[in-house]
Amino acid sequence: MAVRRRAGTVARVLRLWRLYGTMDFIYMTRSPRSFLMYTLSDLLLTVAAITAMLLLAERFAGIGPWTRDQVVFLLGYSVTVRGLLDLFFNYNVLFIGRRVGRGQLDHTLVQPQPLWMSLLTEGFAPFTGGATVLPGVGLMLWAGERLGLAVSPGWLALLGVNLAASGMVVFAVAYIMGSLAFWAPRGAEEINTSWMHMVDQLKSMPLDGAGDALLAGLTGVLPLGFVAWHPCRALLGHDRSATGASLTCVAALLLAGVALLAFRLGLKQYGRTGSQRYSGLGHRG
Amino acid sequence: MDAPARSDTAASDIVVELCGVSKTYIQRQRAGSLGEVFRTLIRPQVRTVEALRNIHLSVRRGETVAYAGPNGAGKSTTIKLLSSLLAPDMGTVRVLGMDPIRDRERFVGRIGVVFGQRTELWWDHPVAATFEWKRVVWDIPGPRYERMVGRVRELLGLDEFYQTLARELSLGQKMRAELGLALLHEPEILFLDEPTLGLDVLAKRNILRFIRELNREQNVTVMVTSHDMSDLEQLAGRIVMIYQGRIAFDGDFPRLRREFGDQRTLWIETAGETAPKLARAEWVRSDGGRHEYRFDASQVKITDLLGDAAAQSPVLDVETHRAPIDDVIADIYEKWQAGDGGSS
Repeated sequence: MAVRRRAGTVARVLRLWRLYGTMDFIYMTRSPRSFLMYTLSDLLLTVAAITAMLLLAERFAGIGPWTRDQVVFLLGYSVTVRGLLDLFFNYNVLFIGRRVGRGQLDHTLVQPQPLWMSLLTEGFAPFTGGATVLPGVGLMLWAGERLGLAVSPGWLALLGVNLAASGMVVFAVAYIMGSLAFWAPRGAEEINTSWMHMVDQLKSMPLDGAGDALLAGLTGVLPLGFVAWHPCRALLGHDRSATGASLTCVAALLLAGVALLAFRLGLKQYGRTGSQRYSGLGHRG
Repeated sequence: MDAPARSDTAASDIVVELCGVSKTYIQRQRAGSLGEVFRTLIRPQVRTVEALRNIHLSVRRGETVAYAGPNGAGKSTTIKLLSSLLAPDMGTVRVLGMDPIRDRERFVGRIGVVFGQRTELWWDHPVAATFEWKRVVWDIPGPRYERMVGRVRELLGLDEFYQTLARELSLGQKMRAELGLALLHEPEILFLDEPTLGLDVLAKRNILRFIRELNREQNVTVMVTSHDMSDLEQLAGRIVMIYQGRIAFDGDFPRLRREFGDQRTLWIETAGETAPKLARAEWVRSDGGRHEYRFDASQVKITDLLGDAAAQSPVLDVETHRAPIDDVIADIYEKWQAGDGGSS
């Protein structure tokens, strides 16, 4: 019975992804000009975000213990993580502070399905949202080729799990911060924008040279080290320990737990106060 | 003002029930001067707003209930409580036998909500795409969906803009599409918060006609809030008026008029230019031989007034009108603000 129910849930998630994917495709074909502009903007932003690091790696033939090609792999990994988040959590699902702060969560709450299911599927935008996934994967492939990586099924599994874990780290922190909008709708409406700016600027930075305090801050307080640096250390052999391979996953699970708690508390607050303001801005594209 | 008695409806028929519901908001007060800024930093000033106070209300299946009140009276709070978007501080809310918050997922599948100032439509997609979205998310079986789409397209005249992007619709078209969307899963109850806000006369008439038909033909329970009292009078058999978080009146429109004075306007055209003195009517103005009076039809018979007038000057023509419901309501609000909290 439980198995059948679980299978039903999976089938429903897949059905919803198909729906939102189709809607995204229709949107793309209806406004090709907008689509091209968005895609171009995303690509330019991506190039801008990685160029400085790329030039540094080129100029000094690597950064710290990272060779130039390893830095390119790190950049590709970080771009892929960001691209996957845009692909699966578009339409302000990732920028949840906006939805909460603008009173738009009401639209989700009147849907007859669990809230997690709505949030997991509603932002799926495979055509307009994933412009940077392919360049990211391309960079990883190119760097992997040059590095002569021994790609085994185990390594690919490690890559897949770490990509998911890195995405979950960014997503969880976005929700921890975005939950503040339950208490301060106006003040925290754009808090996720600040977080994502920070991620974009620092995600591909090798942190090896950082002092202990800074390193603790960038992994413990603002877990930017788990977005790309830590998983790439495990993937490229800088850290061959089991702890190194699993640390990003552990961080992702811990942060997901905190995010769940914060969001639940926020929802309770939402039930008490409701949405005190409403703005249609940015809702559903 | 005492808490109103519960409606004397059969329990099995009741689809909406609020028992002793209270809802309070805490509003932080903002500083107006530099000195206050520092003072409120140390000791924040808060104001408690009692949006709803010990509300008892029940609605029977198939009823159309107008829920009215001045700005900030608690109308939208009630609709949010009934549609699972807000939890009460005290009391219980039951709709269709369920707790809207606890049973949210099952519950929202059986109700329809339309907020006049919000949109459920996908902005960059045609109306048709949002309808298809609703079919999948609400899991509406194919034949039922086809039947309902056909019905709402016909009754609400959606065909002319069914393939148009939501952002290109006029306000009236948008509201028709919103209503259609809210009905696709055949809800048993429809909560409408200001559904005619900003609409022109024709769009408003079409929407009101549709809601009436829906209620009559499918026995859908409708609870509607609006500031436009004439809309509500056309639509609802029962009006619940809320003032400062309490139910101040619960009854039908004729009773409302009776209870708060059946105000009417009387125009008398006389041979002479002097306005006849009518002891039980209030003279408003005169224009040549045409004189306007206001009187309370529940207290004075019009034949008595005409008799008095004719005794003073030959009456050439007579015209009488009921005061528009908006005027009646405005008078009621004025009375309440003056300290008379109303009755139920």
